[in-house]
Amino acid sequence: MKNKIILMSLSLLITMSALTGCFAGNAKNTANTANTKTNTATATNTVQKSAGGFAEAPMLQELVKAGTIPAVEDRMPVKEDIMIEPTFESIGKYGGDWRNPWNGPDDKWGIEMITEEPLFRFKQDGTGVEPNVAKGFDVNADSTEYVIHLREGMKWSDGQPFTADDVIFYWEHMLIPETFGKALYDCYYSINPETGEKERAEITKVDDYAVKVVFKHPSVQFLERLAIDNKWFFAPAHYYKTILPEFIGEDKALEVAKEYGFNDTKTLGIWTGYYYWLYPQRPTLRPWVAKNDANSDRFVMERNPYFFKTDSEGQQLPYIDRIVLDKMQDPSHKLLGMLAGNIEVGQFDFKDFTVLKENEKKGNYRVLTWKSPAWSSTGVQLNQTTEDPKLRALFQDIRFREALSVAVDRKEVSEIITNGLGEPAQASVSEGLPGYQDGWNKQWVEYDKARAEKLLDEIGLKWDAQHKFRTFADGSDLSILIYQEKGEDDKFIELLRKYYHEAGIRTELKIVDSGTFFDLKYANKVPATIKSVSIVNVALRPDELVPLRVITPWFGHYGLYSSSGGKEGVKPEGDVAQILENWDKIKASTSKEEIAKFSDEIIKLHQKNQWIIGYTAPTPTLTVVKNNVKNVAPDLVSADEFRGIGVAHPEQFYIE
Amino acid sequence: MKTMLGDLNRWTQLFRGKKQQETHYAASHWRLMMRKLMKHKLAKVSLVVIGFMYVVALFGNFISPQGLDKYDSVYLNSRPTSIHFIDTDGKFHFTPFVYGMKSERDPETLRKMFVEDTSLKYPIKFFVKGEEYKLFGFIPSSIHLFGVEDPGRLFLFGTDGMGRDLFSRIVLGSQVSLTIPLVGVGISFVLGLFFGGISGYFGGMIDSVIQRIIEIIRSFPTLPLWMALSAAIPPRVPIVQMFLYITIIMAFIEWTGLARVVRSKFISLRNEDYVMAAKISGVSDAKIIIVHLIPGFLSYLVVTMTLAIPSMIIGETAMSFLGLGIRSPAASWGVLLQEAQQIENVALYPWKLIPLGFVIITVLAFNFLGDGLRDAADPYK
Amino acid sequence: MLSYILRRLLLMIPVVMLISIVVFFIIQLPPGDFISTYAAKMATGGEIMDDAAMQVMREAYGLDQAWYMQYLKWIWGIVTEGNFGYSLAFNRPVSDIIAQYMGLTLIVSLVSMLFTYVFSIPTGIYSAVKQYSFGDYLITAIGFLGMATPNFLMAIILMYISYVYVGDPMLGIFSPEFVDQAWSYAKFIDFLKHMIIPVIVIGTASTCDLIRVMRGQMLEEMEKPYMLTARAKGLSEAKIIMKYPVRAAMNPIVSTLGWSLTSIFTGATITAIVLNLPTQGPVMYNALLSQDMYLAGTWLLFMAVCIVLGTLISDILLVWLDPRIRMQRKGM
Repeated sequence: MKNKIILMSLSLLITMSALTGCFAGNAKNTANTANTKTNTATATNTVQKSAGGFAEAPMLQELVKAGTIPAVEDRMPVKEDIMIEPTFESIGKYGGDWRNPWNGPDDKWGIEMITEEPLFRFKQDGTGVEPNVAKGFDVNADSTEYVIHLREGMKWSDGQPFTADDVIFYWEHMLIPETFGKALYDCYYSINPETGEKERAEITKVDDYAVKVVFKHPSVQFLERLAIDNKWFFAPAHYYKTILPEFIGEDKALEVAKEYGFNDTKTLGIWTGYYYWLYPQRPTLRPWVAKNDANSDRFVMERNPYFFKTDSEGQQLPYIDRIVLDKMQDPSHKLLGMLAGNIEVGQFDFKDFTVLKENEKKGNYRVLTWKSPAWSSTGVQLNQTTEDPKLRALFQDIRFREALSVAVDRKEVSEIITNGLGEPAQASVSEGLPGYQDGWNKQWVEYDKARAEKLLDEIGLKWDAQHKFRTFADGSDLSILIYQEKGEDDKFIELLRKYYHEAGIRTELKIVDSGTFFDLKYANKVPATIKSVSIVNVALRPDELVPLRVITPWFGHYGLYSSSGGKEGVKPEGDVAQILENWDKIKASTSKEEIAKFSDEIIKLHQKNQWIIGYTAPTPTLTVVKNNVKNVAPDLVSADEFRGIGVAHPEQFYIE
Repeated sequence: MKTMLGDLNRWTQLFRGKKQQETHYAASHWRLMMRKLMKHKLAKVSLVVIGFMYVVALFGNFISPQGLDKYDSVYLNSRPTSIHFIDTDGKFHFTPFVYGMKSERDPETLRKMFVEDTSLKYPIKFFVKGEEYKLFGFIPSSIHLFGVEDPGRLFLFGTDGMGRDLFSRIVLGSQVSLTIPLVGVGISFVLGLFFGGISGYFGGMIDSVIQRIIEIIRSFPTLPLWMALSAAIPPRVPIVQMFLYITIIMAFIEWTGLARVVRSKFISLRNEDYVMAAKISGVSDAKIIIVHLIPGFLSYLVVTMTLAIPSMIIGETAMSFLGLGIRSPAASWGVLLQEAQQIENVALYPWKLIPLGFVIITVLAFNFLGDGLRDAADPYK
Repeated sequence: MLSYILRRLLLMIPVVMLISIVVFFIIQLPPGDFISTYAAKMATGGEIMDDAAMQVMREAYGLDQAWYMQYLKWIWGIVTEGNFGYSLAFNRPVSDIIAQYMGLTLIVSLVSMLFTYVFSIPTGIYSAVKQYSFGDYLITAIGFLGMATPNFLMAIILMYISYVYVGDPMLGIFSPEFVDQAWSYAKFIDFLKHMIIPVIVIGTASTCDLIRVMRGQMLEEMEKPYMLTARAKGLSEAKIIMKYPVRAAMNPIVSTLGWSLTSIFTGATITAIVLNLPTQGPVMYNALLSQDMYLAGTWLLFMAVCIVLGTLISDILLVWLDPRIRMQRKGM
């Protein structure tokens, strides 16, 4: 025992000294790289600065020497317009592959988020947006006119100039259903405060490096919503003019489509327009661009020689040469690959925490816990518009929701499902996010069977003959059908059903695949489901909290009512109607304060009604990083709005 | 030389046997088979093992210390409890005992760690009072075969990810895994034998039609079939019952392999002299098939039967992926194996692989019994 | 004989046609279609498709028509221009995808199948000749161990063991550093290393079957009187066994051998998924799950042809193996 302690303290000492040594070394490195290039040069690959004071990756130097591509300063925007990306820890060095797990071309978004370069991106602290592809913007006092400035001399990954024409081209040719297969994004509409009508923005070219967006009515949140709805508000006009039927004619375009492997020109437009990062032919602005067919077992993305960012030392980003995506067919492969050190950076579900942690040393990686903006880690939604009228009345009864909330022992759920990390809590906005309400997470969280019993009695639910299950007041069978998407939350559902049964509420379970679930949702056939919501800010992404269209199960066909303009679906009443009113006010707001106020109203209505019942606090998302990968911030928010790993700015990651 | 002598002996036995037993043919045939079977040591052991398993399954609720839904957050992923005879003072106890368990989460990895608290001793008792249950589904009782007093815990095989006693789940799971798959095997066996038999025996048009039907059935894409079924079955159907239906449907697809083999065997056997002789002497077709042809390849039948059992026991795991198989809290061995297959469990909680041992033992026992039966089927050797 | 084969081949056409209809019907039987799966996947990426957009896509892919219309269109394309349609998930012609995966699938399946037959038939014979010896029991026990362990579990355990002791779970067919390289000695060695687990998993799963069947058959044949005659004639034991009982014992194996044709082309699906092998099986599995109609349909059609052909091959082999059947077929 004694020996062990000595050993441990010794090893601690060693690691500590090593660490301090490391930091000292790092600090020196950053201080020195600018002046004494030769020092680092001997140790690593030669990083020579060009005449303009820029440096580039060795693999690009080769190409410059060979005359394949122009010199580095000619590939980037003019000096003042280059974007300098702050590095998180230290100035990095070039080279290396980032092996990243993916499930094949079906998993388009995983790689999209890593390489995304939007016009405006969210700041890492989530407080707003900052220019990214855009250099900056001007906005008039009532937020009806935005001028977006682009970077002069910026180029697509094939070397062609990126200008305002590319934005206009996107607006005029890509953002129409004929090419893109999608309706215009919501962020391009402003709301007439009198009539509530949606009116389309107008977008015009100011000069080669500026476009103007004009709204009829104030659109205060245009840039934020753009950063969510339409991150890539630009497309390479020169490229599309060689493939789209409207430019080269249907026959020629069909030839091109067949060459790409598509069956018709329509899918050609949709896929190269929408999932463009998967096509090597299609130029992009991203740090890495596709190098081969995404359907291969290994999909490779290589650095974009024309990328528009450098670090503070003038080294063109990204640092990492390639992203190598090997297809993994089973989730266990990702985990095994990480354990074996075959993955540089990967994100994992919280359930893998223990096994990842236990092998942290052996696998030579570190487990970072990024916050999740979810309202809870385990939750239930009852469809407020469910078809059965008796059931609908019951679900709409707030006492019933309270009864279901207090009928569950959250401590047990927390321990069994979240390893004790997700504390017993109600579904609510987490502290630090917009809309946080003090004390909300403690609403109806006490495990109180008697209270549940009392509430159910008050509602008028009777017992059946065996005193086992509750029935409706008229004695008819009461049973809640829970739909579950395949493979999700098995354990939680089991526990939940047990507690509900103990409270006398009979449940039935049906497991369906995600496609079927989607269809069922549309048909309003999902009475209840096991799901929480996850949003950063309701004003920016209202879908889960405001019934605008059919998507989140709790509001069921209220959503259809909104999206069909009152022709179909269920008319919202009471507090749900109020949510929609508040939403309309947000849309017509003229100031950020107003928006914050109405968003808060929406959140408060949710607090009052608790349509989404939660049982345990959200658990973090795990970002697992190999120890030799640097510049990955340890404490970010992992949200879809912020683009997953993308929020850490992968172009400045480097491999030591 | 020795083999030749052995064979000679067999032949003489055969003739003698035939003469003696002529009058009570059927009954003594069975008696002889049993006698022969009992001589086969491994088969005897297997019979005992299988018998034991079924007794355990029958009295499952009594034998298992816990029910199926005894979740317990304190004892998540607990390793098997060690049973002691000698305490910390070195004193020997005649009744084995277990120590109390303290559990704590490792603050770094959140893994549950269990430490024995040697100040608390719980002797293992028999016929203890515990959770209520209904024996055979109708006799209410709360007596369990063994256990320790509260708050002590005895987990013979450790616990699963929800703190449930794995031993109890294995025992209760055997009630499903030792019964329903056999129904499936039985059905596909009968079907395969029947269709394969008539196809091979009669040949011609009948054969051709049956063979084409088999081809069509073989090409059924089972996955979408199950998906459609899974959507069509109302959720209110109890899970074990649903599994029974699924097994039966599965059996209706599985019989084709056997039918092919039976057919080809029949084709080669039907021209044997003894079959011809039987035909000429006016024996009915059914009788020829049952009495003369089937015994001709009994060994193959026995082998396929025993081989079909494991795939039926395990096959269920694929079904639960589609929401059709047994699903926790209901237990079956397949469900337990499915939990075991997660990397986390293989890496950190290897005792969850124990159910695999039971599957293997069962399969081996059935197989060796099959071997014995095959030998015994020809009792005159 | 020749006319028999010809007749069977002709008969194949209506049977395969019938199968293709049944198969196509079954594929679209589960609720939802490719677009709903697609929309659900989009939703996980934060993009919500509305009804109109889904309708547009359905029309673009022709999914708004009744299944028999889709079927007719598809089968017409095959018959008239050899066009097997278009995979919705891959956005490529079906034939391209099948071609992409065919090479490796054949390698993996043939290696493991070869292993299975080469290993199990002699083992089965040995097991029968030395019935109830220690070796017999050992083979039985190991065989059943492999058979009773679900493939996916066996694969996971082996991968984990490999990870713990070698530091590499041996996923896929090559180590990451070799994937891009041309074939070399080092790559070949790497390939062999990566084949160990698949061969064990796929091998143990199917060898047991064959060993047991072979053993059972051999035991039966060896008790037949002709063995006694042969022995009495003083032939060597080895010669007797190879000449008569082995041939007869192959009967049940051969009668379903033709069907392994299908497994050669798919490879063991679940095992391939667990071991991350880039074979045909997982691709088709996903196509069925997401109702990628034409890809799944073409594949199943191909399988149907294999099954029908396989049956025919089996029948021919049986005749060739068993003189008793041969005699009888003469009349046909």
